Amino acid sequence: MYPILFLSFSGLITLFLGFFQEGKWVKPATILFLAIASISAFIDWNKPGAYFFNMLQVNNFNLLLSLVILITAILIVAISDNFKEIEYAHSAEYYAIMQFSLVGAIMMTNFQSLIMLFLGVEILSVSMYVLTGTDKRNLRGNEAAIKYFLLGAFATGILLFGIAMIYGGVGAFEIDAISGTLASNQAQSLFLYIGLVMLLIGLLFKLAAAPFHFWTPDVYEGAPTIFTLFMATIVKTAVVFALYRILHQSFQNMHLSWSYILAGCIALSLIIGNLSAVKQISFKRMLAFSSISHAGFLLLGLLHVSKTADKSLLFYSVSYLLASTSAFGVLLALKNERTENGRSNENISVFKGLATRSPFLSAVLIISMLSLAGIPLTGGFWSKFYVLTDAANDQFFYLIVLALLLTAVGVYYYFKPIITVFEKSDIQEAITINPIFKIIFVLTTLGTLVLGLFPDLLYGMI
Amino acid sequence: MTDYIPQDYQPLLFQLVLALGFIIFTILITHVLGPRLKNAAKDAPFECGIESVGDARAPLAVRYFLIAILFVLFDVEIIFMYPWAVNFLKLGWFGFVEMLFFVTFLMAGFYYIIRKGVLNWEND
Amino acid sequence: MSLILLIPLFPLIGFLINGLGFKNIPKSLVAPIGIGASLLSFVFAFIAYSEFKNTGEVIIVKAFDWITIGDLNIPFSFQIDQLSILMLFIVTGVGTLIHLYSAGYMSHDAGYGKFFAYLNLFLFSMLLLVMGSNYLIMFIGWEGVGLCSYLLIGFWNKNSDFGDAARKAFIMNRVGDLGFLIGIFLIITHFGSLEYTQVFEMAKQYPVGSGIITAITLFLFVGAMGKSAQIPLFTWLPDAMAGPTPVSALIHAATMVTSGIYMIVRSNVLYTLSPVTLNVVAWIGVATALVAATIALFQNDIKKVLAFSTVSQLGYMFIGLGMMAYTSGFFHVITHAFFKALLFLGAGSVIHAMSDEQDITKMGGLWSKIKITAVTFLIGTIAISGIPPFAGFFSKDEILAHTFAHNKAIWVLAMLGSFITAFYMFRLFFVTFTGKFRGTQEQEHHVHESPLSMTIPLMVLAGFSIVGGFIGMPEIFHQPHFLENFLAPIYEGSESVLPGFGNLGISHETEWSLMGLSVVLALVASVFAYVVFVKNATIPKDSSELSGVKKILADKYYIDDLYLKIFSNGTSKLSKGLYNSFETKFLSPLVNSTGTLINFAGKQLTRIQNGTTGYYLFAMGISIAFILVFFLGLDVLSFFKNILGGFSK
Repeated sequence: MYPILFLSFSGLITLFLGFFQEGKWVKPATILFLAIASISAFIDWNKPGAYFFNMLQVNNFNLLLSLVILITAILIVAISDNFKEIEYAHSAEYYAIMQFSLVGAIMMTNFQSLIMLFLGVEILSVSMYVLTGTDKRNLRGNEAAIKYFLLGAFATGILLFGIAMIYGGVGAFEIDAISGTLASNQAQSLFLYIGLVMLLIGLLFKLAAAPFHFWTPDVYEGAPTIFTLFMATIVKTAVVFALYRILHQSFQNMHLSWSYILAGCIALSLIIGNLSAVKQISFKRMLAFSSISHAGFLLLGLLHVSKTADKSLLFYSVSYLLASTSAFGVLLALKNERTENGRSNENISVFKGLATRSPFLSAVLIISMLSLAGIPLTGGFWSKFYVLTDAANDQFFYLIVLALLLTAVGVYYYFKPIITVFEKSDIQEAITINPIFKIIFVLTTLGTLVLGLFPDLLYGMI
Repeated sequence: MTDYIPQDYQPLLFQLVLALGFIIFTILITHVLGPRLKNAAKDAPFECGIESVGDARAPLAVRYFLIAILFVLFDVEIIFMYPWAVNFLKLGWFGFVEMLFFVTFLMAGFYYIIRKGVLNWEND
Repeated sequence: MSLILLIPLFPLIGFLINGLGFKNIPKSLVAPIGIGASLLSFVFAFIAYSEFKNTGEVIIVKAFDWITIGDLNIPFSFQIDQLSILMLFIVTGVGTLIHLYSAGYMSHDAGYGKFFAYLNLFLFSMLLLVMGSNYLIMFIGWEGVGLCSYLLIGFWNKNSDFGDAARKAFIMNRVGDLGFLIGIFLIITHFGSLEYTQVFEMAKQYPVGSGIITAITLFLFVGAMGKSAQIPLFTWLPDAMAGPTPVSALIHAATMVTSGIYMIVRSNVLYTLSPVTLNVVAWIGVATALVAATIALFQNDIKKVLAFSTVSQLGYMFIGLGMMAYTSGFFHVITHAFFKALLFLGAGSVIHAMSDEQDITKMGGLWSKIKITAVTFLIGTIAISGIPPFAGFFSKDEILAHTFAHNKAIWVLAMLGSFITAFYMFRLFFVTFTGKFRGTQEQEHHVHESPLSMTIPLMVLAGFSIVGGFIGMPEIFHQPHFLENFLAPIYEGSESVLPGFGNLGISHETEWSLMGLSVVLALVASVFAYVVFVKNATIPKDSSELSGVKKILADKYYIDDLYLKIFSNGTSKLSKGLYNSFETKFLSPLVNSTGTLINFAGKQLTRIQNGTTGYYLFAMGISIAFILVFFLGLDVLSFFKNILGGFSK
């Protein structure tokens, strides 16, 4: 709860900090604010309770989620490099908006009332619409922002419709009240039914799960890389745990109804995500499709109401966001590589000859790709393993088989960048890496490996 | 909360069917009844008989929109004061302090706008 | 956080410092870091011992939960009990001496830092192996030492022969590891745990001769065969002499090769339950002991002789284990660690003095020139030959006594092997240190005693080789058998499944006479060697000059050539055949067409992503409608039915 309050204020302060000394304090201040917010989360540690007329719920697991989100945000802000690649950048505003969006993300993981969920989704989404379009002179960025906004508004409408219907069915917004009603009532109201489906669809859209994934590749590609990273990590984590709370903690009695919808979405996400990624030339677009397939895997973890689902999902999220930060981070570190038309080269070909130009960056990239592909000794392997064991059940046996088959396809396209790294390039000059980047890369890469070698360090802790 | 049974929605359904039916009926009937003529002159944009000049999509200064949006923003925020004023006595000091906070934030935003130079119409 | 966790951590830190920064760390710091890491482990082993002694209970320190899959939980934890304490002392103690020795021996090598990094990594893996509280951690250490031995044997990687030797060691070990791994899998599926304490507790419920236990123990033993160089997986060890001498000492004497014995002693409950496996172990042990000993008779490379003697001594240890005399086998591990490390380091000192000459036919007369090395080497020779009261006598005699009690046939063969051992060891000593100098002028001029950092370890180890045997005095001397009393709690499981499993069961008279017989045999062998090589001054010939049985022995029974013909050539022929038929005709087209199919599907799917917002909205709308119709369709119908039902009312 305290991070929400704190970040709302610190966001405002950040805005004004932009006026001092041409905003050179904005980035350090943002990191400081995020660190304080992370620490403030501990005020409620071991003190589970409800806030704001039972609208927010605080317990240790929710706090852990807030921490994961905040720490990821610190990593992302640390490699953001003051938006030098954006013309006419108003960096103070971007940092402020990022902090506001975190308020939304934390609300989505701590909500008790569906109204809070809606507020959280909207705060996060509107921030993301704006951040997507920050590169104002870039046509693709503009297109991405408008698309994201139009489609997102559509999904928001459906989400809100769903919440209204649920209220119609239960007469309450609190998820505890919903699960209480479901537990006591045998016959379920059709309103509740439609409401759940609509709510589900709204959140699936935000998660970028097929068939509501259409915005993803265009937006991921058009947005500045740093915000793509933000979307791939923080938004996904927040949405997945919002889904977890709704499906596992309030609608667990309607498991039979939603599990089939979920199963269909998982199958589509895995197929579309993995197969479409195969032919991509742009690295960001490839990662966009890969994020669709990862959305499928995350949903696999939600498929069964089991005791270990929260653990598996958190493990998956953490390992995914570590690997994503590495992958997008390498692309950011290479943003000075230009194509012929003067834009930053964001194609896979940018990695050509990286092995000789910067062995460090290539190691980071390779390990992140291996983790995303789910190769053993990386966190990605265990995360897939846990999710699949959770989902393993006679009912959806073929889904597991499909997931495993498509993981093999995944290896194919994740290895493309790895192969490119070792190709010969005309450019031989070494790449200089900002020391902050180095620290972040070491952290994320080590994290990926530690999760791969000692999965129980995290899995056993939760 | 009163419990409703599905039958209670009968009038609603009835009205829905009627409304939809009327719309569909009118759309269809106009297409059937109306005479059709198609030629180049008819498809040309109608400009009150005057030859059309230039592009309809004339660029407007972005400041125009900015001012407009800012007006809407502050206007709407002021609306919040009406219910407060009505309940002023009932809310007491608590309400007063809350409103002070609200106005402070508003003013902070205003200051921000000025510092950003949004209201400077002249120089660019 | 227990101090015990620090024991394996020090070598790991040493490895990381020397390994990651070996280009930047000044040479003067490399050895202190490496030696310091190993010494600290040794010191902390004492602390662990005192902690253990206070309570007398088995200490299990959990570092963290490692893997949890369903009901199987594998923690990363260490177990401190009598057995691991002893192994800790051997590994860190001898390891420290060898680190110290390396500082002198390797001082002129370009890869000084790299060498110490590898040594520390080896020590770390070995400590994992002996300290782990479950089979998986043992397996990690098991693989770790395999990897390190590969790196160390091929340390001078400019020479491709050394690289081949390293690869041979690695591949042979891998064959054994596969067996070990299968054993572990069997344990998981059968016991649902890998923790020693849990597995052994459950194993107690099984009857003697249970099939599944036999399978598990046999597979585990395959692993031991590879690591401890038993027939048929022993040929890598002599070739492994390609590595620097401290490595040979570290791998052969103290640590890696004994891990197979450690593993069996650790799992003694399982082995006691399976007489079949014990028989296999004993017979393979005795076969290895004899084969290796006979080969050693005609080797002229000082390190090769020691290598085959190691293989042979390992055979003796396995004989002891096969007789359920686990303590005796382990006793021999300890004494062998002392005298074999001594012999290897002594050999290294000789080679150092002889300007890297390893052929004993080109040595001779070194006794007066390198006194310390010669004396300590003699002590080692006496100890390994089994002449009292040196260390080797007690341990070997205990094994032989147990063998006599259980299996006379094996006993006869083992006695023969022990006779041969004494003979070839004295042959080695006499040819090297007595007679005339047979090297070049330049070498003779250059002969010098090694620096102090090399001779100190020699002297320390010589001291242990003399007195080391007293920790296990036989009962008939009316002294406490310290080792047996100390290790007794380890065999609590074996005792419960087979009471009195390790009793000797022979009379004192028999024991006296057995002891006398073996001493006489050893003395006769040494005198025989003296007559042949000192009195008659025979100089051993090269294998090309030999004929008949001697040539077969000198050429190691042609086992290497046999393996090359059967496995290497056979495999490459099989691969070629499969490539020409299966691969090109069937597999390639299949794999390629899968790739083509996926590429095609990917291309078609990207068409959906056409960039038009309206189209996206349309697709989403259709999807929503689809979901509603398919998942809610029936309910909606019944809902409307209910509404309409009101009209009919």
